[in-house]
Amino acid sequence: MKRLLPFIIILLVLGVAVVSAYYLKRSATEVHPVTPTTNGAGQTTPPITASTGAVPGAEPAHTLGPANAPAHLEEFGDFECPPCGLLHPILVEMHREFGDRLQITFREFPLSPPHQHAIAAASAAEAAGLQGKFWEMHDLIYENQKNWHEAFDVRPIFEGYAKQIGLDVERYKKDVNGEAVAKRIFDDGKRGHSLNVKGTPTVFLNGREVPFESLPAEKLRVLINAELSGSK
Amino acid sequence: MTMEGSTSASKRGTLLYILIAALSIFGLADAIYLTIEHITGQSVRCTIIAGCSEVLSSSYAVVAGYPLASIGALAYFSVFSLAILALFGYRIASQLLLPLIVVMCLVSVWLIYLQAFVIHAFCQFCLFSAAVTFALTVLTILVWRKR
Repeated sequence: MKRLLPFIIILLVLGVAVVSAYYLKRSATEVHPVTPTTNGAGQTTPPITASTGAVPGAEPAHTLGPANAPAHLEEFGDFECPPCGLLHPILVEMHREFGDRLQITFREFPLSPPHQHAIAAASAAEAAGLQGKFWEMHDLIYENQKNWHEAFDVRPIFEGYAKQIGLDVERYKKDVNGEAVAKRIFDDGKRGHSLNVKGTPTVFLNGREVPFESLPAEKLRVLINAELSGSK
Repeated sequence: MTMEGSTSASKRGTLLYILIAALSIFGLADAIYLTIEHITGQSVRCTIIAGCSEVLSSSYAVVAGYPLASIGALAYFSVFSLAILALFGYRIASQLLLPLIVVMCLVSVWLIYLQAFVIHAFCQFCLFSAAVTFALTVLTILVWRKR
Protein backbone atom coordinates (compact mmCIF):
# COMPACT_ATOMS: atom_id res chain seq x y z
CA MET A 1 0.00 0.00 0.00
CA LYS A 2 2.85 2.37 0.94
CA ARG A 3 4.38 1.84 -2.52
CA LEU A 4 1.16 2.91 -4.16
CA LEU A 5 0.47 5.88 -1.87
CA PRO A 6 2.54 8.54 -3.77
CA PHE A 7 0.85 7.58 -7.04
CA ILE A 8 -2.59 7.72 -5.42
CA ILE A 9 -1.81 11.23 -4.08
CA ILE A 10 -0.58 12.37 -7.51
CA LEU A 11 -3.64 10.96 -9.29
CA LEU A 12 -5.92 12.52 -6.69
CA VAL A 13 -4.40 15.99 -7.26
CA LEU A 14 -4.59 15.47 -11.04
CA GLY A 15 -8.27 14.56 -10.72
CA VAL A 16 -9.04 17.61 -8.56
CA ALA A 17 -7.13 19.82 -11.02
CA VAL A 18 -9.03 18.49 -14.05
CA VAL A 19 -12.43 18.75 -12.34
CA SER A 20 -11.80 22.31 -11.12
CA ALA A 21 -10.56 23.32 -14.58
CA TYR A 22 -13.76 21.88 -16.07
CA TYR A 23 -16.03 23.79 -13.65
CA LEU A 24 -14.00 26.98 -14.04
CA LYS A 25 -14.38 26.77 -17.81
CA ARG A 26 -18.08 26.00 -17.56
CA SER A 27 -18.77 28.95 -15.27
CA ALA A 28 -16.69 31.27 -17.46
CA THR A 29 -18.52 30.34 -20.63
CA GLU A 30 -22.03 30.32 -19.20
CA VAL A 31 -24.04 32.14 -21.81
CA HIS A 32 -26.86 34.42 -20.82
CA PRO A 33 -29.98 33.80 -22.91
CA VAL A 34 -29.99 36.33 -25.70
CA THR A 35 -32.98 35.16 -27.67
CA PRO A 36 -35.94 37.25 -26.59
CA THR A 37 -38.67 35.25 -24.94
CA THR A 38 -42.28 35.96 -25.55
CA ASN A 39 -45.15 35.87 -23.14
CA GLY A 40 -48.56 34.37 -23.78
CA ALA A 41 -49.77 37.49 -25.57
CA GLY A 42 -46.91 37.23 -28.03
CA GLN A 43 -45.13 40.27 -26.57
CA THR A 44 -41.40 40.34 -26.06
CA THR A 45 -40.30 40.45 -22.42
CA PRO A 46 -38.65 43.72 -21.43
CA PRO A 47 -34.85 43.90 -21.28
CA ILE A 48 -33.38 42.89 -17.93
CA THR A 49 -31.94 46.38 -17.41
CA ALA A 50 -35.42 47.79 -17.03
CA SER A 51 -36.13 45.59 -14.05
CA THR A 52 -32.72 45.54 -12.34
CA GLY A 53 -32.69 49.15 -11.16
CA ALA A 54 -29.98 50.32 -13.56
CA VAL A 55 -29.37 54.08 -13.42
CA PRO A 56 -29.75 55.94 -16.74
CA GLY A 57 -26.19 57.19 -17.42
CA ALA A 58 -25.22 60.45 -19.14
CA GLU A 59 -28.08 62.14 -21.00
CA PRO A 60 -28.38 62.45 -23.90
CA ALA A 61 -26.41 59.28 -24.60
CA HIS A 62 -24.04 59.06 -27.56
CA THR A 63 -25.88 56.92 -30.08
CA LEU A 64 -25.58 55.75 -33.66
CA GLY A 65 -28.74 54.62 -35.40
CA PRO A 66 -32.38 55.49 -34.67
CA ALA A 67 -33.96 55.25 -31.23
CA ASN A 68 -36.76 53.03 -32.58
CA ALA A 69 -34.31 50.43 -33.92
CA PRO A 70 -35.37 46.89 -32.88
CA ALA A 71 -31.84 46.06 -31.65
CA HIS A 72 -30.00 48.21 -29.10
CA LEU A 73 -26.33 47.60 -28.41
CA GLU A 74 -24.72 49.41 -25.50
CA GLU A 75 -20.94 49.36 -25.12
CA PHE A 76 -19.08 50.27 -21.96
CA GLY A 77 -15.65 51.16 -23.24
CA ASP A 78 -12.27 52.48 -22.21
CA PHE A 79 -10.33 54.19 -25.02
CA GLU A 80 -7.00 52.90 -23.69
CA CYS A 81 -8.10 49.26 -23.37
CA PRO A 82 -6.65 47.19 -26.25
CA PRO A 83 -9.67 44.83 -26.63
CA CYS A 84 -11.95 47.91 -26.84
CA GLY A 85 -9.71 49.12 -29.66
CA LEU A 86 -10.21 45.75 -31.36
CA LEU A 87 -14.00 45.92 -30.87
CA HIS A 88 -14.20 49.39 -32.48
CA PRO A 89 -13.92 48.26 -36.15
CA ILE A 90 -16.35 45.41 -35.41
CA LEU A 91 -19.01 47.85 -34.18
CA VAL A 92 -18.35 50.12 -37.17
CA GLU A 93 -18.99 47.07 -39.38
CA MET A 94 -22.20 46.22 -37.49
CA HIS A 95 -23.43 49.80 -37.83
CA ARG A 96 -22.77 49.74 -41.57
CA GLU A 97 -24.36 46.31 -41.98
CA PHE A 98 -27.51 46.70 -39.89
CA GLY A 99 -28.13 50.41 -40.51
CA ASP A 100 -31.47 51.59 -39.11
CA ARG A 101 -32.19 48.24 -37.46
CA LEU A 102 -29.46 48.70 -34.87
CA GLN A 103 -28.81 51.49 -32.40
CA ILE A 104 -25.34 51.60 -30.84
CA THR A 105 -24.72 53.51 -27.60
CA PHE A 106 -21.28 54.25 -26.22
CA ARG A 107 -20.80 54.59 -22.48
CA GLU A 108 -17.61 55.86 -20.87
CA PHE A 109 -15.98 53.38 -18.51
CA PRO A 110 -12.36 54.57 -18.15
CA LEU A 111 -10.29 52.22 -16.01
CA SER A 112 -7.84 54.39 -14.19
CA PRO A 113 -5.73 52.77 -12.84
CA PRO A 114 -4.35 50.79 -14.66
CA HIS A 115 -4.80 53.01 -17.76
CA GLN A 116 -3.11 56.34 -17.10
CA HIS A 117 -4.62 58.17 -20.10
CA ALA A 118 -8.10 56.58 -20.01
CA ILE A 119 -9.78 59.55 -18.32
CA ALA A 120 -8.00 62.07 -20.56
CA ALA A 121 -9.22 60.14 -23.62
CA ALA A 122 -12.78 59.91 -22.29
CA SER A 123 -12.71 63.65 -21.51
CA ALA A 124 -11.45 64.48 -25.01
CA ALA A 125 -14.30 62.50 -26.61
CA GLU A 126 -16.90 64.05 -24.30
CA ALA A 127 -15.55 67.57 -24.90
CA ALA A 128 -15.88 66.93 -28.64
CA GLY A 129 -19.40 65.68 -27.90
CA LEU A 130 -20.28 69.09 -26.45
CA GLN A 131 -19.60 70.47 -29.93
CA GLY A 132 -21.59 67.68 -31.58
CA LYS A 133 -18.59 65.69 -32.76
CA PHE A 134 -18.36 62.87 -30.23
CA TRP A 135 -18.23 60.05 -32.78
CA GLU A 136 -15.57 61.75 -34.91
CA MET A 137 -13.32 62.09 -31.85
CA HIS A 138 -14.28 58.59 -30.60
CA ASP A 139 -13.19 57.08 -33.93
CA LEU A 140 -9.90 59.02 -34.07
CA ILE A 141 -8.96 58.13 -30.50
CA TYR A 142 -9.67 54.42 -31.02
CA GLU A 143 -8.01 54.25 -34.43
CA ASN A 144 -4.84 55.88 -33.06
CA GLN A 145 -4.81 54.04 -29.73
CA LYS A 146 -1.30 52.67 -30.32
CA ASN A 147 0.03 56.15 -31.17
CA TRP A 148 -0.98 57.92 -27.96
CA HIS A 149 -1.06 54.99 -25.50
CA GLU A 150 2.65 55.25 -24.71
CA ALA A 151 2.87 59.07 -24.81
CA PHE A 152 3.86 60.91 -21.65
CA ASP A 153 1.45 63.81 -22.24
CA VAL A 154 -1.59 63.06 -24.39
CA ARG A 155 -3.21 66.51 -24.22
CA PRO A 156 -1.42 67.98 -27.28
CA ILE A 157 -2.23 64.79 -29.25
CA PHE A 158 -5.95 65.03 -28.49
CA GLU A 159 -5.89 68.78 -29.19
CA GLY A 160 -4.45 67.88 -32.57
CA TYR A 161 -7.41 65.55 -33.16
CA ALA A 162 -9.79 68.34 -32.07
CA LYS A 163 -8.27 70.61 -34.69
CA GLN A 164 -8.38 67.82 -37.29
CA ILE A 165 -12.14 67.28 -36.88
CA GLY A 166 -12.82 71.01 -36.98
CA LEU A 167 -13.63 71.77 -33.35
CA ASP A 168 -13.36 75.19 -31.78
CA VAL A 169 -10.06 74.28 -30.08
CA GLU A 170 -10.19 77.07 -27.48
CA ARG A 171 -13.63 75.94 -26.37
CA TYR A 172 -12.47 72.31 -26.45
CA LYS A 173 -9.52 73.15 -24.15
CA LYS A 174 -11.90 74.75 -21.66
CA ASP A 175 -14.51 71.96 -21.89
CA VAL A 176 -12.08 69.08 -21.55
CA ASN A 177 -11.41 69.99 -17.90
CA GLY A 178 -14.93 71.25 -17.29
CA GLU A 179 -17.67 70.01 -15.04
CA ALA A 180 -20.06 68.98 -17.82
CA VAL A 181 -17.52 66.50 -19.21
CA ALA A 182 -16.62 65.11 -15.78
CA LYS A 183 -20.31 64.67 -14.94
CA ARG A 184 -21.02 62.74 -18.15
CA ILE A 185 -18.13 60.33 -17.42
CA PHE A 186 -19.28 59.98 -13.82
CA ASP A 187 -22.90 59.30 -14.86
CA ASP A 188 -21.87 56.66 -17.40
CA GLY A 189 -19.64 55.06 -14.76
CA LYS A 190 -22.56 55.01 -12.32
CA ARG A 191 -24.71 53.27 -14.92
CA GLY A 192 -21.92 50.74 -15.52
CA HIS A 193 -21.62 49.96 -11.84
CA SER A 194 -25.40 49.59 -11.51
CA LEU A 195 -25.25 47.03 -14.33
CA ASN A 196 -22.38 45.23 -12.58
CA VAL A 197 -19.87 46.11 -15.30
CA LYS A 198 -16.46 44.92 -14.10
CA GLY A 199 -14.28 45.39 -17.15
CA THR A 200 -14.16 46.66 -20.70
CA PRO A 201 -15.43 46.13 -23.27
CA THR A 202 -18.76 45.08 -21.76
CA VAL A 203 -21.56 44.96 -24.27
CA PHE A 204 -25.30 44.69 -23.71
CA LEU A 205 -27.61 43.70 -26.52
CA ASN A 206 -31.23 44.67 -25.80
CA GLY A 207 -30.32 44.77 -22.14
CA ARG A 208 -28.63 41.38 -21.95
CA GLU A 209 -24.90 41.09 -21.48
CA VAL A 210 -23.09 39.61 -24.48
CA PRO A 211 -20.41 37.11 -23.35
CA PHE A 212 -16.93 38.39 -24.15
CA GLU A 213 -16.19 35.45 -26.44
CA SER A 214 -19.24 36.38 -28.57
CA LEU A 215 -17.80 39.77 -29.52
CA PRO A 216 -16.00 38.76 -32.74
CA ALA A 217 -17.95 40.07 -35.78
CA GLU A 218 -19.24 36.68 -36.95
CA LYS A 219 -20.67 35.80 -33.53
CA LEU A 220 -22.05 39.26 -32.78
CA ARG A 221 -23.80 39.26 -36.15
CA VAL A 222 -25.63 36.03 -35.24
CA LEU A 223 -26.76 37.50 -31.90
CA ILE A 224 -28.02 40.73 -33.50
CA ASN A 225 -29.87 38.75 -36.18
CA ALA A 226 -31.47 36.63 -33.43
CA GLU A 227 -32.68 39.83 -31.73
CA LEU A 228 -34.02 41.17 -35.04
CA SER A 229 -35.88 37.97 -35.91
CA GLY A 230 -37.27 37.80 -32.37
CA SER A 231 -38.66 41.32 -32.64
CA LYS A 232 -40.60 40.65 -35.85
CA MET B 1 27.54 12.17 12.15
CA THR B 2 25.38 10.85 14.95
CA MET B 3 22.26 8.82 14.35
CA GLU B 4 20.24 11.64 15.95
CA GLY B 5 21.77 14.17 13.55
CA SER B 6 20.93 12.16 10.44
CA THR B 7 17.34 11.61 11.66
CA SER B 8 16.80 15.32 12.17
CA ALA B 9 18.35 16.02 8.73
CA SER B 10 15.99 13.54 7.11
CA LYS B 11 13.06 15.11 8.99
CA ARG B 12 14.05 18.50 7.57
CA GLY B 13 14.26 16.98 4.09
CA THR B 14 10.78 15.54 4.51
CA LEU B 15 9.44 18.91 5.65
CA LEU B 16 11.06 20.65 2.66
CA TYR B 17 9.50 18.19 0.18
CA ILE B 18 6.09 18.67 1.81
CA LEU B 19 6.52 22.45 1.52
CA ILE B 20 7.54 22.11 -2.14
CA ALA B 21 4.49 19.93 -2.90
CA ALA B 22 2.15 22.32 -1.06
CA LEU B 23 3.57 25.42 -2.78
CA SER B 24 3.36 23.80 -6.20
CA ILE B 25 -0.39 23.28 -5.60
CA PHE B 26 -0.77 27.08 -5.32
CA GLY B 27 1.22 27.50 -8.54
CA LEU B 28 -0.92 24.83 -10.22
CA ALA B 29 -4.18 26.51 -9.15
CA ASP B 30 -2.93 29.89 -10.43
CA ALA B 31 -1.80 28.40 -13.76
CA ILE B 32 -5.11 26.53 -14.24
CA TYR B 33 -7.04 29.73 -13.56
CA LEU B 34 -4.89 31.64 -16.09
CA THR B 35 -5.26 28.86 -18.69
CA ILE B 36 -9.06 28.88 -18.43
CA GLU B 37 -9.14 32.69 -18.51
CA HIS B 38 -6.96 32.56 -21.62
CA ILE B 39 -9.07 29.91 -23.38
CA THR B 40 -12.40 31.60 -22.62
CA GLY B 41 -11.10 35.08 -23.41
CA GLN B 42 -12.15 36.49 -20.04
CA SER B 43 -8.66 37.68 -19.20
CA VAL B 44 -8.46 39.64 -22.40
CA ARG B 45 -11.07 42.03 -21.05
CA CYS B 46 -9.61 45.09 -19.28
CA THR B 47 -10.34 45.33 -15.56
CA ILE B 48 -9.51 47.81 -12.85
CA ILE B 49 -7.19 45.45 -10.98
CA ALA B 50 -4.27 45.00 -13.34
CA GLY B 51 -2.73 44.87 -16.75
CA CYS B 52 -3.59 41.21 -17.32
CA SER B 53 -5.34 42.06 -20.57
CA GLU B 54 -2.15 43.57 -22.00
CA VAL B 55 0.01 40.67 -20.81
CA LEU B 56 -2.33 37.82 -21.74
CA SER B 57 -3.32 39.26 -25.10
CA SER B 58 0.34 39.72 -26.07
CA SER B 59 2.09 37.34 -28.43
CA TYR B 60 4.21 36.08 -25.52
CA ALA B 61 1.19 34.44 -23.87
CA VAL B 62 1.11 31.67 -26.49
CA VAL B 63 3.84 29.10 -27.19
CA ALA B 64 3.50 26.85 -30.25
CA GLY B 65 -0.26 27.40 -30.22
CA TYR B 66 -0.66 26.51 -26.53
CA PRO B 67 -1.39 29.06 -23.81
CA LEU B 68 1.83 29.63 -21.86
CA ALA B 69 -0.23 29.21 -18.67
CA SER B 70 -1.09 25.62 -19.63
CA ILE B 71 2.63 24.81 -19.91
CA GLY B 72 3.03 26.41 -16.48
CA ALA B 73 0.25 24.19 -15.11
CA LEU B 74 2.05 21.13 -16.49
CA ALA B 75 5.32 22.30 -14.91
CA TYR B 76 3.73 22.84 -11.48
CA PHE B 77 2.03 19.44 -11.67
CA SER B 78 5.42 17.87 -12.51
CA VAL B 79 7.01 19.62 -9.52
CA PHE B 80 4.22 18.35 -7.28
CA SER B 81 4.59 14.78 -8.57
CA LEU B 82 8.38 14.79 -8.24
CA ALA B 83 8.21 16.24 -4.70
CA ILE B 84 5.72 13.55 -3.63
CA LEU B 85 7.82 10.79 -5.20
CA ALA B 86 10.98 12.21 -3.58
CA LEU B 87 9.16 12.28 -0.25
CA PHE B 88 8.57 8.54 -0.61
CA GLY B 89 12.25 7.90 -1.33
CA TYR B 90 12.43 7.86 -5.15
CA ARG B 91 15.98 9.14 -5.75
CA ILE B 92 15.46 9.84 -9.44
CA ALA B 93 12.57 12.21 -8.58
CA SER B 94 14.74 14.25 -6.21
CA GLN B 95 17.45 14.43 -8.89
CA LEU B 96 15.02 15.68 -11.55
CA LEU B 97 13.47 18.31 -9.29
CA LEU B 98 16.42 20.74 -9.32
CA PRO B 99 16.89 21.05 -13.12
CA LEU B 100 13.13 21.45 -13.62
CA ILE B 101 12.92 24.22 -11.00
CA VAL B 102 15.99 25.97 -12.44
CA VAL B 103 14.34 26.05 -15.89
CA MET B 104 11.07 27.35 -14.37
CA CYS B 105 12.98 30.01 -12.44
CA LEU B 106 14.80 31.20 -15.58
CA VAL B 107 11.52 31.32 -17.53
CA SER B 108 9.94 33.33 -14.69
CA VAL B 109 12.80 35.85 -14.75
CA TRP B 110 12.37 36.20 -18.52
CA LEU B 111 8.59 36.68 -18.17
CA ILE B 112 9.06 39.40 -15.55
CA TYR B 113 11.56 41.08 -17.87
CA LEU B 114 8.97 40.94 -20.71
CA GLN B 115 6.25 42.44 -18.50
CA ALA B 116 8.51 45.23 -17.23
CA PHE B 117 10.41 46.22 -20.37
CA VAL B 118 8.54 44.92 -23.43
CA ILE B 119 4.80 44.79 -22.63
CA HIS B 120 4.99 47.58 -20.01
CA ALA B 121 2.21 46.01 -17.95
CA PHE B 122 2.11 43.61 -15.03
CA CYS B 123 -0.43 40.85 -14.51
CA GLN B 124 -0.81 40.00 -10.84
CA PHE B 125 -1.55 36.33 -11.54
CA CYS B 126 1.69 36.03 -13.54
CA LEU B 127 3.60 37.77 -10.72
CA PHE B 128 2.08 35.37 -8.19
CA SER B 129 3.26 32.45 -10.31
CA ALA B 130 6.77 33.91 -10.46
CA ALA B 131 6.77 34.38 -6.67
CA VAL B 132 5.77 30.72 -6.20
CA THR B 133 8.54 29.60 -8.56
CA PHE B 134 11.15 31.71 -6.73
CA ALA B 135 10.05 30.23 -3.39
CA LEU B 136 10.21 26.72 -4.91
CA THR B 137 13.74 27.48 -6.15
CA VAL B 138 14.90 28.45 -2.65
CA LEU B 139 13.35 25.33 -1.10
CA THR B 140 14.82 23.04 -3.76
CA ILE B 141 18.29 24.55 -3.30
CA LEU B 142 17.94 23.95 0.46
CA VAL B 143 17.10 20.28 -0.23
CA TRP B 144 20.02 20.00 -2.65
CA ARG B 145 22.52 21.48 -0.16
CA LYS B 146 21.51 18.97 2.49
CA ARG B 147 22.21 15.98 0.27
